[in-house]
Amino acid sequence: MPITKLTRAGVGLAAALAALAGAAQAQDCTTKIGAVLPTSVDWGRPIAETAQFAVDQVNEAGGAAGCRIEMVLRDTQVDPKVGVDAAKALVDLEGVKVLLGAVSSGVSMPILTSVTVPGEVMQMSCCSSSTAFTKLAEEGKTGGLWFRTFATTGVQSAVGAKVAKDQGYGSVAILYKNDDWGQDMARLIAADFAAVGVDVTASVAVNDGQPSYRAEVTEALGSRPDALYLALYPAEGTAAVREWISLGGTQNMILANSLKSDDFRDSVGLQYLGETLGTDTASPRSDSADAFRAAYMARFGKEPNGPGLANSYDAAMIALLAMEAAGQDASGADVAAAVARVTDPGGTPVSADTAGFATAKGVLASGGTVMYQGATGDVRFDANGDVSAPAVVWSFTDGGTEEVEFLSLHDVDTFIASLK
Amino acid sequence: MIQNLIDGVLTGAYLSLGAIGLTLVMHILRFANFSHAELLSLGAYAALVCDALVSALVPVFAAKLGPLSLTWALTAAIAASMVLTGVSAVLIDRLVFKRLRDKGQELSMVFASFGMALVIRNLIGLIFGLSPQLYSKDIAFAVLLSQDPLILVKPDQVFVLIAALVLMMILHLVLSRTTFGYSLRAVAENPALAQVNGVNLSRTIMAVWVIGGGLAAVAGVFYGLSHQIIPVMGRDLVLPIFAAAIVGGIGSVYGAVLGGFVVGIAGNLALVILPSGYTPSVPFLLILAVLIIRPYGLFGEARA
Repeated sequence: MPITKLTRAGVGLAAALAALAGAAQAQDCTTKIGAVLPTSVDWGRPIAETAQFAVDQVNEAGGAAGCRIEMVLRDTQVDPKVGVDAAKALVDLEGVKVLLGAVSSGVSMPILTSVTVPGEVMQMSCCSSSTAFTKLAEEGKTGGLWFRTFATTGVQSAVGAKVAKDQGYGSVAILYKNDDWGQDMARLIAADFAAVGVDVTASVAVNDGQPSYRAEVTEALGSRPDALYLALYPAEGTAAVREWISLGGTQNMILANSLKSDDFRDSVGLQYLGETLGTDTASPRSDSADAFRAAYMARFGKEPNGPGLANSYDAAMIALLAMEAAGQDASGADVAAAVARVTDPGGTPVSADTAGFATAKGVLASGGTVMYQGATGDVRFDANGDVSAPAVVWSFTDGGTEEVEFLSLHDVDTFIASLK
Repeated sequence: MIQNLIDGVLTGAYLSLGAIGLTLVMHILRFANFSHAELLSLGAYAALVCDALVSALVPVFAAKLGPLSLTWALTAAIAASMVLTGVSAVLIDRLVFKRLRDKGQELSMVFASFGMALVIRNLIGLIFGLSPQLYSKDIAFAVLLSQDPLILVKPDQVFVLIAALVLMMILHLVLSRTTFGYSLRAVAENPALAQVNGVNLSRTIMAVWVIGGGLAAVAGVFYGLSHQIIPVMGRDLVLPIFAAAIVGGIGSVYGAVLGGFVVGIAGNLALVILPSGYTPSVPFLLILAVLIIRPYGLFGEARA
């Protein structure tokens, strides 16, 4: 009977197709991870591209936890409201269990408290430095879901105090940006200055977007300090420093890394920045950091010089390693718990590339642990999800900046310990 | 304290110039023009370009005048920028505001002005980049007038103050002594009646834009001379300028002048009373205080 035959053939075909589709699904499943980064600002896009670079390398090694990884990227516009909306969409609609970002502490914080912690999603930031996260973690409010590959503001403020002490400044006035980062910085540096015996004569908040910073500068100038500490961004930093110098303020200045910018140097004028020293956290002088630099050069055709690039790479890589370690269908909390397995100082060392990820897969599958050697060195998180970092003291030159002093991770940790 | 007062007066100079144009437009065209502060940016950048042109063509003019960072080139550039900005203001009116004035309501004008502000600001950012620019890379050092109490004054700012006062005086004479000034006030009072009496309405409106744009250009250059030129300067200045116009009373040129100085001084004195993080609130508190006591501003009058 032709009809029955045809039906049978049809059923058979459908079954075969279904089986095929099933097999394809097992091989080509895709796990989404979220990224909320300020892609609409010029320095934010490379951070996102570097995270995607890590994702691409992992996919070349066959993906993580048996599936290809797709990074769904959303723009924060450096705006907490936009950032929270973006994170919420990623968690609720895309169902991500791992969220990379954000950059600014002021954006990462509301995402952490209102999206990732309630949603039990692991959040790994490349670039947020506020100590408010440390405090939150100490109070147990991050649920162990929060990590960052960027050293806290504490490293930078300690080095700032070290510079003041080494230069022999007796008194310092502070101008700080009136946001989470600036307030944090001002509070920490004031305490660190006090610890090394440097007087803080004034600590003045500067709101950005003001037509004039004359009043703030006058306030800081009134006490006639030996030096000026600046925790500002280039836009208001340029205006404030020019005002400061024109009013006869000292040219002994200590800058936070936010002012390590050619725009700032050019607008203020190099001739006024001769006595200026800046601080910054640094990449370690390690082979793994050099390897990242080479890989970045090969991929993007330029040095990874922007802020947070190495950190962004490590954030993505560690998150994906942890996903691999946690296995398929792991929850955000499982992935967060697995971070310790991939940054274990006693584990098998793995490099930060496709081959390294493939090695890690093998080790993790057999129940072992690995030590990820990344673009920022051997990343080791403390109980609060924080990392420490080596630091540099730098000065401005014709071509950019040059290093004045390098402080290894050990130097930094020793100095910070001496402050307490 | 004395330093803050002096700084306030010096800051007030360019705020006043900006507020005069705003108050004229608000009074005569009867809408709150939020794009007015962008005319300051436009003027500042126009002068930047003209300054570079003149300095390149006539290098002699690039020399500084005495202790000022002002050059003959920049002086010429200011004049050129006044014309350019005035013409731009008229063009913007022709392209956008005139069409809405004929068809739309007051509120659509206000929204259009928000839009214009965004367009101008971003166009400037697109052309000149987002980083700050300067008329002179050198920092003009302040002159120490007194060591205790510490009083420092920058020569540039004194020049700005004097130049602003001279411009205001000229404007005052034009408004109070000429037929043109008379017709301007007539249009503000009652456009229909003024037309019946032979005042050319469209030409008067054009004149208002030219004056407002020209003064805005000077204010923008003076701001740039005192601080820096940056595409978002219009955004940063729009509130203080509005505050000055409202405090002074919409429509009153003298009120705008006084309002500018009041806002400038209040902004600088605020730090003495308030912690530094809260100073941006001062212009708003000032508007509130003035409007509670005098609902039409210091010099304003109610109108039908």
